[in-house]
Amino acid sequence: MGAVLAKVRPGGQLRLSQEQIILLVVASLFVVFSLLLNGFFTAENLLNLLRSVSSLGILSVAMAVVVIARGMDLSLVASMGVATAISIQLMRTDLGTPMALLVGLGIVLLMGAINGFLIAFVEIPPLFATLASGLLIYGLARTVILDGLIVELPPDRDFVRWLGQGVVFGIPAPIIIFVVVAVVAHFLLSRTRTGRFIYAHGDNSGAAGLTGIPVRPLTVTEYMITGAIGLVGGLVMAGSVGGFNTQIIDGSLIYDVLLVVVVGGISLVGGRGGVLSVVAGTALIGVMLNGMTILNMNTHEKDIVKGLILLAALVLDNRLHPRDEETVRQGD
Amino acid sequence: MSQSLVDLVDIAPEERDAKLVDIRRMTKAYRGVHAIKDIDFSLYAGEVHALVGENGAGKSTLCKILAGAVQPTSGTMEIAGKEVSFRRPHDALEAGVAMVYQETSLVPTMTAAQNIELGHEKLLTRFRSLNINAQTLLLSMNFHVDPTAYVSTLGAAQKQMVEIARALRSNARIVIFDEPTASLTPEETLHLFDVIEKLRSAGMGVIYVSHMLEESLKIADRVTVLRDGERVVTLNAKETNRDEIVKHMVGRALTGSNRRAATGDDKPQRKRKVLEVENLIMGNVVRNMSFSAYAGEVLGIAGLIGSGRTETAKIVAGALKRNRIHGGRVLLNGKPVRYRVPKQAIKDGIVYITEDRKADGFFETMTIAENLYLGHLAARSGRKRWLLSRRSREKIAREWTQKLRIKAINSDAKIIELSGGNQQKVVVGKSLVADPEVVIFDEPTRGVDVGAIEEIHQLIRQLADEGKAVIVISSYLPEVLSVSDRILVTRFGRAVAEFSAEEATQEKIMYAAIF
Repeated sequence: MGAVLAKVRPGGQLRLSQEQIILLVVASLFVVFSLLLNGFFTAENLLNLLRSVSSLGILSVAMAVVVIARGMDLSLVASMGVATAISIQLMRTDLGTPMALLVGLGIVLLMGAINGFLIAFVEIPPLFATLASGLLIYGLARTVILDGLIVELPPDRDFVRWLGQGVVFGIPAPIIIFVVVAVVAHFLLSRTRTGRFIYAHGDNSGAAGLTGIPVRPLTVTEYMITGAIGLVGGLVMAGSVGGFNTQIIDGSLIYDVLLVVVVGGISLVGGRGGVLSVVAGTALIGVMLNGMTILNMNTHEKDIVKGLILLAALVLDNRLHPRDEETVRQGD
Repeated sequence: MSQSLVDLVDIAPEERDAKLVDIRRMTKAYRGVHAIKDIDFSLYAGEVHALVGENGAGKSTLCKILAGAVQPTSGTMEIAGKEVSFRRPHDALEAGVAMVYQETSLVPTMTAAQNIELGHEKLLTRFRSLNINAQTLLLSMNFHVDPTAYVSTLGAAQKQMVEIARALRSNARIVIFDEPTASLTPEETLHLFDVIEKLRSAGMGVIYVSHMLEESLKIADRVTVLRDGERVVTLNAKETNRDEIVKHMVGRALTGSNRRAATGDDKPQRKRKVLEVENLIMGNVVRNMSFSAYAGEVLGIAGLIGSGRTETAKIVAGALKRNRIHGGRVLLNGKPVRYRVPKQAIKDGIVYITEDRKADGFFETMTIAENLYLGHLAARSGRKRWLLSRRSREKIAREWTQKLRIKAINSDAKIIELSGGNQQKVVVGKSLVADPEVVIFDEPTRGVDVGAIEEIHQLIRQLADEGKAVIVISSYLPEVLSVSDRILVTRFGRAVAEFSAEEATQEKIMYAAIF
């Protein structure tokens, strides 16, 4: 990937992109933790670190797609959670695994389509449209469909279990799945027409429309892609613990996802960053979380660190993508 | 407060004719491109000083520096003998410089009185005194505006009056008007001149920025002509005339260089009618617009801002929707069409090139090549191919940078690093990649450097010669006159007059546009 190399501008001045800066930070953190923390630099810990962040990474790739298109999907965790839980509940009956998974896929795709419709056609801001739809689907699922808070995966469903617990050539399956998802998403975003349209949409939606890009159907597609990738993350989560705890939906996972996306350099302004940014963000959060766990910090102490990282990333984003001087008008 | 003009007149006589503004060697560069360069400018008390020049000549930049909205790259500025450097608009207000902006900077959800008082509020403000003071101020200038009316309910002229009142409220001694008459009716314009006259006799300094030369000559004491960001000359308004100023503005005598030499016998016969617009209606902006465009012809559309030109173009190109019932008809090659989105119009060969390239023209994170390639991907000629091809991107980039003479190190340069003219060319290229039959340019040379203006005009001509139907919307009359074969004038959402290139003059067009 040529994007990894820093660009040297004609003036000879080195300019790093946000993901490059983050990767440098990760590398230095890695060195510091390896030297200072006992038990950090062991194969077991590192694999553990990667495995524990891979589902977060997959969800972040999902979120990245809509954020690049200057959108936001707060219903991501809710829709993947509900879809995963329903799939597993169906697996508790004698329905085949593929069929159950298809139903899950149907749910996230429908959810994505509804989000896209609300945003593109009804013209509700993404933040609020997805906040509402997320609440709605979770509430509906809990009251109407799901039996309990926790849905346990029956022991005979090997495929889903493998997604979370399998090992291939000594590498845990979640890591492999994260890599596959990242590669596929990268290909989609950087090598296909749809990918180019997604960037164009995020960069300047008005110009995208005038250029002849079908912005509204595109929006629907974006949210559907996000939902589908999200489901993969949900299944990996379910596989690794042998079931799905729907309380995750109420938790702070969605904020961690946004943290990864923004930290990695996918500007909320849209049109910037890519899958590599998500990888950088995931690596940073993974290393930080792991280090903090070894340091025995509690949740609230971790929150402080996360908050500081997020603020730093937003400041960095602002400095790297300043508004054009010419466009700054009086009074804004 | 009760700051009224009566007080302002009491400026001591010795302060009259004092130099209020003295600007020396003022320069402002954006990314190395000069917006203005080494400009000297002065303004005396009791003087109206007009700034004229073409689009992009640097008038607005100079004013914004004076008003503290833009910081200069180099140069010095003295206000009433004291050297100043403004870091923000507030500093300029403190020093007595107020700007009446083109797009008004009032808060629409507040009343006129609240707007006038904005920024001067005491901890507690009594509504009654607020309104009374505003009323006094407004009446002292003979402005008939209800101080309790919400600004959103006021017309353009009344808004401007409130802006002026606000400038006076902040004890301004220097008032800058930026294209004040662009949205005014002739009657309102006369009224504005009365007000400026009053300001002058009150010993204030007025800077008057306008495209309209006659107007500037009438109201001003001195006229400074800017061209390409540099000061060409400063003249006494009484000792000069329009032609002399135009000569200075353009740097050459005006010739209709791009107009087809269509005289007498080789007058081109009417060609195929490509586009026909009949009784188009949208809300109360476009009311019953009708016109036609022909292959191989440039149709210029002139008219005041707000006369429905842009909206009409956008309806034709699918970016806006006309009224569902009784909305009129658009015929493309005789077939009625109605587009919901621009994609459909582009597919049928109609492209609209925006008037505001920053807002909805180009993709700022992308390179020249990527911008052009997107046009290809989105257009009908971009076949249903899902994968991107670097080779076809490079081919398109090479072809169009050459064709449009886009100047950059290479086509992988980011578009935001280009000059306005080159950005505009990329936006144009992005639309032309679709190989359209009807090309609609909306203000094609706004904020474009002079060299590129000429090239864009040639391109417009060339497109028509290739047999395309070209429509050019422009507020700049010399532009309309120089590129068009036929000129349409719009007023209040209607096409009210049509001239051939030979019979059209600035005066005729303005007359049709206003009355």
